[in-house]
Amino acid sequence: MGRKEKIQGNPWYKALAIVVLLAAAFGAGIFGARALLALPYRLTDSWQDTADFDYILTEYRDQLVSGVAASRRLEEVERDKDDSSAAGWTYADLEDLERQLKDLEQMMEPSNTWFRYSLRAADGEELATNRTGDRPLADQVKQARRFTFRAGEISYGEVYYRDGMYYVTESWDLAQDEAWASFPDGIEQLDPADEVPAAPAEKPQILVLEYGVPEEVTDAIQDGFYTARRQWGDQRANFDVNLTGALQLLALTLLALACLLWAAGHKSGVEGAHATWQEKIWLELYAAVMITAGVWLAACALALGHELYDLSYYHQYILRTDYQLYENLALAGLGAICACEVGLAALLLRTFAARLKTGSLARTTLLCRVATWTVRTVHDFLRFLPFTWKAVLGFLIYCVLSCMLAMAGYSDGAFMMMYCFLQLAALLFLGWWVYGYHLLRQGTKTIARGNLEYQIDTKRMPYDLKLQAEDLNNISAGLSSAVDEKMRSERFKAELITNVSHDLKTPLTSIINYVGLLKSTQQTDPKAQEYIEVLDRKSQRLKKLTEDLVEASKASTGVLAVTREKIGMAQLIDQALGEWTEKLNDRKLSLVTNLPEGETWVYADGRHLWRVIDNLLSNCAKYAMEGTRVYLDLARGKGQVMMSVKNISREPLNVPPERLMERFVRGDESRTTEGSGLGLSIARSLTELQGGTFELAVDGDLFKATVTLPQAN
Amino acid sequence: MYTILICDDDQDIVSALDIYLTSEGYQTIKAYNGVEALRAVEQHEVHLILMDIMMPELDGIQATAKLREGHNVPIILLTAKSEDTDKILGLNIGADDYITKPFNPLEVIARVKSQLRRYTALGGAEKGPGLLTAGPITMDDSAKVVTVDGEAINLTPIEYNILKLLLSHSGQVFSSAQIYEQVWNDPAYGSENTVAVHIRHLREKIEINPAEPRYLKVVWGLGYKIEKGAK
Repeated sequence: MGRKEKIQGNPWYKALAIVVLLAAAFGAGIFGARALLALPYRLTDSWQDTADFDYILTEYRDQLVSGVAASRRLEEVERDKDDSSAAGWTYADLEDLERQLKDLEQMMEPSNTWFRYSLRAADGEELATNRTGDRPLADQVKQARRFTFRAGEISYGEVYYRDGMYYVTESWDLAQDEAWASFPDGIEQLDPADEVPAAPAEKPQILVLEYGVPEEVTDAIQDGFYTARRQWGDQRANFDVNLTGALQLLALTLLALACLLWAAGHKSGVEGAHATWQEKIWLELYAAVMITAGVWLAACALALGHELYDLSYYHQYILRTDYQLYENLALAGLGAICACEVGLAALLLRTFAARLKTGSLARTTLLCRVATWTVRTVHDFLRFLPFTWKAVLGFLIYCVLSCMLAMAGYSDGAFMMMYCFLQLAALLFLGWWVYGYHLLRQGTKTIARGNLEYQIDTKRMPYDLKLQAEDLNNISAGLSSAVDEKMRSERFKAELITNVSHDLKTPLTSIINYVGLLKSTQQTDPKAQEYIEVLDRKSQRLKKLTEDLVEASKASTGVLAVTREKIGMAQLIDQALGEWTEKLNDRKLSLVTNLPEGETWVYADGRHLWRVIDNLLSNCAKYAMEGTRVYLDLARGKGQVMMSVKNISREPLNVPPERLMERFVRGDESRTTEGSGLGLSIARSLTELQGGTFELAVDGDLFKATVTLPQAN
Repeated sequence: MYTILICDDDQDIVSALDIYLTSEGYQTIKAYNGVEALRAVEQHEVHLILMDIMMPELDGIQATAKLREGHNVPIILLTAKSEDTDKILGLNIGADDYITKPFNPLEVIARVKSQLRRYTALGGAEKGPGLLTAGPITMDDSAKVVTVDGEAINLTPIEYNILKLLLSHSGQVFSSAQIYEQVWNDPAYGSENTVAVHIRHLREKIEINPAEPRYLKVVWGLGYKIEKGAK
């Protein structure tokens, strides 16, 4: 097991990767959420575009508006002070109003706030302001706003409170006065009897409030605007920090994930890929569980994010410490959800990687299994369909498709194109078949010509032709091995003959030699002399038999080398006669030859052919009746040369001629003569080795042997 | 007194040959494989070697090749291998003669004598005008004497003329008809088998084993010839 596998299978390594993965995901989630929260600040160009700023500005405006109402009320009270009808007003109420106005005055001091305002009457007369210097308000603030209201209605007419939310009608317009009464869109209907006090009898004076805050605020005056400005700057800086942190942790998460996937499917002590129980679950089921859990967690995260956003929007109303606690809890929750999501994704990817590594992805995927099964079933059905059915089915499908496309093609060019493509495909398919058949035919021809080593290339052949070609290849391989086997057995036979002949000849040599030695010793007993003679004769016969046996084996197994050349038959017969005439004459046999005019040429091996004639004449010498004639005829014609030897047998030939050519069969059943019974067998084998035929005929006592050889021109 | 080395892995054959050769007056040394044969040749003066081919340790062919590196002594191979290719290989490797088993002891003695005569006495017959030679056969045309291995042979005039024709064209094949025309000076009319008979007689006179002629060869179906440069 290599070092790499050791690391991959180490459980500590895996645990470390998982811990790093989850921790990094957790951190990335928190940083990401914080970055998202800071995103609105980052996206605004000025701190005055934020919701926080709007909120504080509206607060100040409302203070001012209620201040105007309070001062009005105070004036009324002052006016009616002596009037006893001023019922319901206590001194304490008066003091309250005065304190409220004093607080407002204090609050609106230019040295206490960055808020600048200018209160005007409808005719443009400036009633009150806190702007510094003579410059108009619009120049002193970044963006001046204008608020029109009725002085007598204080705040209750314009600012509603409901469900813990304030609804403020911005830029009150007189023209909308009537519309307001009928509750325009955007403001939910309230029960007027409950909360809206009855409108005063006299028409209140219309006032215009212009207000704003300068862009540049410093820590010289530390009011709400300064806080908002500072928070805006802080959040912008936070965004960058958090985003960087989130991205770094994301990279770490991905690295840990990569490490985990690299180690997936390995186990310590197990060579190669290893599948756990998780890989035995259908991939679809596994993925469904993981994705459902992931979606559910994402929904949680969205809800939590929404809460957090709301929290940030209304953080002004919540105690700072509480807010921090809530925010931290929510962020931790988001981080945990993020870690869980990443963990789920890692689980899914891990099993995917492990399946890929063990090669079981296709097996454990339901969809893949179904698809594979379907394809295989259809494929097998088409394959094992009888060939005739295949052809008929294919042709019918082709016809139907052709007709349909041709009909549709009348009106639609696209179908016409498809029709053309179909014909082209059919042509290509036919071409493929024909080419396959061509290859098959060529291969068959080559094999038939005797090249048994040839293998037809079955690659890219149509299935049915491929079957044919493979069978043919198998046949040729079988034949080739059969031929090899035969050659081996021939070689074995040749070796066997050589060895046997050696093992027979060596002891025979000793026998002959020692018999010779015995003969040369002086034997006093005449019987011993006689016995030695028998030994001598029989050992000589054994010698001849051994030689004939070896020759017969060689000739019949085809081990003998044959060098064929042009041979003159008349010359050969003449030479044979030279060898045999005297011996035949000794046996009182006369030879009669009948040769055609001129030389007769045959194509044969001279030494083998001599052995044939030698054997035939020796046969005559052994078995012909004394005092008869032996006829040796030579005839030629039709491209054949026929040589026949005829003689009268001494013994009645009650053996069929076929039997005579068998090994060890002799004309005399008693086997007293000197022949080995192999002569005719050898003669036939040698003749056949030279491409000739050897026939025997027996007619009464007439024995006839015919050797036929092809004539050479 | 010549010393003959007999080398065969079959002890009985060695003993038999030993008896035959000793009775002929030769001294013998026995060896039972090629290695022993080589050692014997180093230790003694050997005039002729009779060597089997199929032997353990070092076979006859290899032993012959080794011997021929430094010795001129005649070697007769004795073997059960009767293939032509085996004979040709044996003779090419440096053997002087070749006898197949089972052999006739008298033939062995005749061949031993022939080889010894050529090795010791003959040396190299002087080649003069009118002297025809082929291997051991020498024909002195002026004296009308034919010798084989130095021994004079009695030939009839026809046999003499046939041998003269073949010797003067050694290596060339003459058909029976050609020989008849040249020797009898008559056109051949199917009476050629007299030629075959004469040649068989001639062969019996000059060959040790007429069934396996070494010098006067029968080319079956074509004619007869004297082997050119035959040993």
